[in-house]
Amino acid sequence: MFPIVLLSVFGILLLFLGFLKSRAILLPAALLFLLVSLAVNFIDWNKTYLYFNGMLLSDNLSMVFTAIVLGSAFMVVALSGSFMEDESAQPAEYYGILLFSLVGALMMIGFENLIMLFVGVEILSVAMYVLTGSDKRNLRSNEAALKYFLMGAFTTGIMLFGMALLYGATGSFTLGGIRAYAVNPQVGLSLLFYVGLLMLLIGLLFKVSAAPFHFWTPDVYDGAPTLFTAFMSTVVKTAGFAALFRLLSISFSGVYTFWWTILAIITTLTLVAGNITAVYQNSFKRMMAYSSISHAGYLLIGLAALGQQTKQAIVFYSLAYSVATIAAFGVLLLVARQRNAETITSGGSSSESFDAFNGLARQNPLLGFAMAVSMLSLAGIPLTAGFWGKFYMFSTAVERGQIWLLVVAVLMSAVGIYYYFRVIIAMYFREGATAPIRVAPFYRYVLVVATLLTIGLGIAPGLLEGLF
Amino acid sequence: MLTDFGIILLFILAAFAFIGIVLFVARLLRPNRPNEEKNSTYESGEEPVGNANIQFNIRYYVVALVFVLFDVELVFLFPWATVFGQVRLINETNGSWGWFALTEAFLFVGILGLGLAYVWAKGYLDWVKPQPKIPRVDTNVPADLYQRVNDKYSHSKP
Amino acid sequence: MQPTQNVLIPEVIQQIPLTYYIIISTALFVIGIIGVLTRRNAIIIFMSIELMLNAVNLLLIAFSSYRSDSSGQVFVFFIMAVAAAEVSVGLAIIVMIYRNTRSIDVGLLNKLKW
Repeated sequence: MFPIVLLSVFGILLLFLGFLKSRAILLPAALLFLLVSLAVNFIDWNKTYLYFNGMLLSDNLSMVFTAIVLGSAFMVVALSGSFMEDESAQPAEYYGILLFSLVGALMMIGFENLIMLFVGVEILSVAMYVLTGSDKRNLRSNEAALKYFLMGAFTTGIMLFGMALLYGATGSFTLGGIRAYAVNPQVGLSLLFYVGLLMLLIGLLFKVSAAPFHFWTPDVYDGAPTLFTAFMSTVVKTAGFAALFRLLSISFSGVYTFWWTILAIITTLTLVAGNITAVYQNSFKRMMAYSSISHAGYLLIGLAALGQQTKQAIVFYSLAYSVATIAAFGVLLLVARQRNAETITSGGSSSESFDAFNGLARQNPLLGFAMAVSMLSLAGIPLTAGFWGKFYMFSTAVERGQIWLLVVAVLMSAVGIYYYFRVIIAMYFREGATAPIRVAPFYRYVLVVATLLTIGLGIAPGLLEGLF
Repeated sequence: MLTDFGIILLFILAAFAFIGIVLFVARLLRPNRPNEEKNSTYESGEEPVGNANIQFNIRYYVVALVFVLFDVELVFLFPWATVFGQVRLINETNGSWGWFALTEAFLFVGILGLGLAYVWAKGYLDWVKPQPKIPRVDTNVPADLYQRVNDKYSHSKP
Repeated sequence: MQPTQNVLIPEVIQQIPLTYYIIISTALFVIGIIGVLTRRNAIIIFMSIELMLNAVNLLLIAFSSYRSDSSGQVFVFFIMAVAAAEVSVGLAIIVMIYRNTRSIDVGLLNKLKW
């Protein structure tokens, strides 16, 4: 609750700080604000409170998710130094909108009432529409923004219709009220309830880009400025899964038999579509988009096999995925900028293709290593955080006895190794005439921290277990 | 027996019937001598020019957006107004409810006001002024030469 | 679905069965969906989406009246406010695209292909 209030105030403050002559204060201010919010998040640690007349819940799980989201946002903002060099950029507005969108994410994490879920989803989405289109002169960015907006608003409508039907069936918007209706039906569950549940699920699955609602993801991730792609693929995904987990584990656990087959089919589709299509990509950024779809698939396993371990598995996986993704996008930002500077013909996406990474590790050992570790983690190789994330996910499937889901997931992570290793091979074994890339000190810290975190969690995954 | 909604339906039907009958009777009675003036659109006596489906000036757009936002956000004041003055709540809290509700409302309107201030300070409320292009001619003749020529010959007696 | 009997529902509201409201708002919603899927003009797609949202509003109000429960109506307020914010951002995006391409046909947007 405290981070929500603070972030709203800080967002407004940042907007008005933009009127100052010097832009240099904005980045430190944004980082400071995020740190303060992260700190006050833990005030209620080990206590469970309901805030705002029972609209928001604050417990350890929601605080852990909040910490992941704020931490990812902190790292993304720390990578945003390039705004200061770009004349047409409006850093104050970007940071302000980022903070506002975090408010939406936090509402999705702790919602206790469907109204809060809706408002949270919308705050997050509307902010992301703006940020996707923030490169105003770039047609690709424009197109991504329009696609994202039209598709997002469309599924918001579907999600709302689902909520309305649920309200009609249960007479309540609260999670507890819906749960009470679902576990204890006096006259049998009505058709409204099932249709409402399905439409609500479709709306949320769209936001986390699960197949067959994933078609917008590659275009949007590809067209959006890379920094905001990093934000989208970490914060939005984590918040979306936190919301899905809350909804399914609290309200709809009574009708598990109804939705788990549907979710299992969607999971399979997502895993197959994400991984297979990622193999055929030539652009690294687009590959990362499909990779984010496939990771949504892995995260969905935990939901389809909802059980005791799901909570832990989702938290760990989101953390591992977020850290690795941010490091990968951070390196991509630097490499793409360097390639753009080298070749004036920056019309296409050539600066973001796999070839751009050729020979990177020779000249820039740090960048190469950070990228390699994050790729290994995303592929789920042991001694990285990603391995344990996948391990926990798969063990939830085993716990529920969903062996075919497990088989699909393992096969698909084998496919994943192929396209993640393409980057590593390009960096270490291909020749490329690259000048060393200058890395700002702060940028370097972020990459180092992300890499250390990935390896640390890979070696000692138990570090987090005591947290919740 | 008609229900309440049945009466509304009757009313709608009656309205259509009335208009239909009146127009039909008028058609029977009136002389029919059309000419070009009569067939043109009535525009308060003005000569109608061009198509009605014109594109509005882009200047309206930002103002319209800001208006839509502030207009709709105020919808939240309606539920607030229903609980603000409730005597029961005020009595139960010894009057502090009223102050609490008032503060909340001012907070809400204050945040909206901050938004307006931001838009204003950014200059989005300023009317986009047309920037007239002063024609420039690329020539070696200095500009003051024309002036001198004018001065020289304008002094001649009329 | 029958509304619970113990809550007092005004007689005027009961004259039209709840099913009718569900049918009409579902019809509006489906019209909106068809509009989104078949039209190519961004503004018209946008209007179809608004139609979907208003179908939801109608449904919520109907449920809310039949249950004599105000939370549905409060939800409608939130939907209206958020829809306005969405309209602003959406129109801004469309205007931005129009300035760059002089068209709002979504079919022309094909720079991003896999």
